Amino acid sequence: MLPLPTFSVLSPRAVSDAAQMLTDHPQARLIAGGTDLLPSMKYGLFTPPTLIRLGGVSALQEISVTEAGGLRIGAGVTLRAVGRDVRVLSLYPALAAATRTIATSTIQAMGTLGGNLMLDTRCAWYNQSTFWRGALGGCLKCHSAPEGAICHVAPKGKGCYAAHSADTAPGLLLYDAEVELVSTRGARRVAVAALYGDDGRDWIRRAPDELLTAVILPPPPAGRVVHRKLRARGSIDYPLLLTAAAFDPDRGPRVVVSSVGPRPVELGGVAEAWEAGGVEAVAEAAYKQVSPLSTHVWPAPWRKKMVRVEVRRALEAAISGV
Amino acid sequence: MPTEPDDDLVLTLRVNGDRRRLLIPANRTLLNLLRQDLGLTGSKHGCDVGDCGACTVLVNGAPRLSCITLAAEAQDAELLTVEGVAVGGALHPIQAAFHEQVAAQCGYCTPGFVMALKALFDERPDPTDAELNEVLGANICRCTGYTKILAAARQARERMNGRST
Ligand SMILES: Cc1cc2nc3c(=O)[nH]c(=O)nc-3n(C[C@H](O)[C@H](O)[C@H](O)COP(=O)(O)OP(=O)(O)OC[C@H]3O[C@@H](n4cnc5c(N)ncnc54)[C@H](O)[C@@H]3O)c2cc1C
Ligand code: SF4
Ligand code: FES
Ligand code: FES
Repeated sequence: MLPLPTFSVLSPRAVSDAAQMLTDHPQARLIAGGTDLLPSMKYGLFTPPTLIRLGGVSALQEISVTEAGGLRIGAGVTLRAVGRDVRVLSLYPALAAATRTIATSTIQAMGTLGGNLMLDTRCAWYNQSTFWRGALGGCLKCHSAPEGAICHVAPKGKGCYAAHSADTAPGLLLYDAEVELVSTRGARRVAVAALYGDDGRDWIRRAPDELLTAVILPPPPAGRVVHRKLRARGSIDYPLLLTAAAFDPDRGPRVVVSSVGPRPVELGGVAEAWEAGGVEAVAEAAYKQVSPLSTHVWPAPWRKKMVRVEVRRALEAAISGV
Repeated sequence: MPTEPDDDLVLTLRVNGDRRRLLIPANRTLLNLLRQDLGLTGSKHGCDVGDCGACTVLVNGAPRLSCITLAAEAQDAELLTVEGVAVGGALHPIQAAFHEQVAAQCGYCTPGFVMALKALFDERPDPTDAELNEVLGANICRCTGYTKILAAARQARERMNGRST
């Protein structure tokens, strides 16, 4: 048995109460579905003294149409509800598809969209029990690691490369979605494209007192967006590689690759490659730009080869869907 | 004045139809509440971190992995565990199908499969094979293999829809 550390709980009913509690208890962590947070706490990755439960905040559980003609999806809406919503299915099919590839049908009924966008970065050397990590002397991401701990992925480096693994992020980035962050200081919006940083220890540009309240989607783009997930089994597994591609007949293709580092990355030079050589050239450009590291149990060289394959497949699907 | 967080809480809920009221520490998981506080050991302790599905229960009709659910989430909820699935001493058609198809060897995973399927059938009385597969993919069996479990799920579906198998 993996016991949970001791903590106390707070159960707000309103967003403003939750924001106030985050301000009053700076060491507290938010818990939504708990499907990322509780396994991590059982593994001793962190031990917050207090958990603020978002399950009772009903305002976070709504989906509504915006004035602009897009959708506003509350952070507390479950992945299952997102994946089944008729508006999401018709306007943002790649988002619905992404939610349906997350973990399992049971976990989709528990986990939330907000929790998914706030999912901790993952690494085969870090997401392990206290005992397992202790045998290796921990790593740079472990709070309890002794002095002299190294990164097992890039032992000479000072950075952490733990992989962004949230399935919904690449597609939301191509839909130009934003998130709303609320604190006692007010509300602000951040593009999903600007939400993440380059170090696996400090990957999210959210202030500690901020609560993610909603994902805001503008009206869908002209072309189709496609989400693809590479994983070991057809169920349960976290991604080995995530690819999203969009194809707008007027603007050409866009490609995002994720689970290869601390943030989803929109590839550069895609328009030029497309002009020069179509799908194959874009796939080749992706292969040259993306270098998976040994943050996963599956070999990085194979994952690199699959970048070319997955980008080609995603882009072909986006084009044929136009 | 800031709200003080609770170290303990009084939980009121219904478990398999019975009303319960307990004082529990805030860090109690739903699985430990069931197994230790209520003595309901049908829900199993498998991986303890959300990977295997052996601890699946229904909270207000929705499937949940009780090992990674705080007991606090079940405040005022209607909880169904494998102990509450048989009605009046008669096995539920899902349980009967697992029995008839010999879809268990060690049986450790079985309560989780039964509960995951119960959640599906309650929502979609006549699911497709693809829907059955999706739900079976949420649970891990280490000994029987999935052929007999799928056969049991199909048999339950046919019987519950008045078709013979
Ligand atoms: C076996 C297993 C397999 C999984 N596979 C996948 C997978 O393939 N792909 C994938 O993307 N995920 C996967 N997950 C992770 C998880 O189920 C999902 O990412 C889920 O969407 C997380 O949502 P949650 O509500 O459960 O988050 P929680 O665990 O409640 O929270 C996750 C993090 O977000 C923070 N948080 C939650 N809500 C908010 C908010 N409103 N504002 C600010 N911060 C917040 C929490 O403090 C915590 O740090 C898997 C989990 C398990 C157990
Ligand atoms: S990338 Fe390195 S520092 Fe980061 S979690 Fe993995 S082993 Fe630790
Ligand atoms: S014991 Fe809960 S999922 Fe394995
Ligand atoms: S019957 Fe033994 S794990 Fe399934």
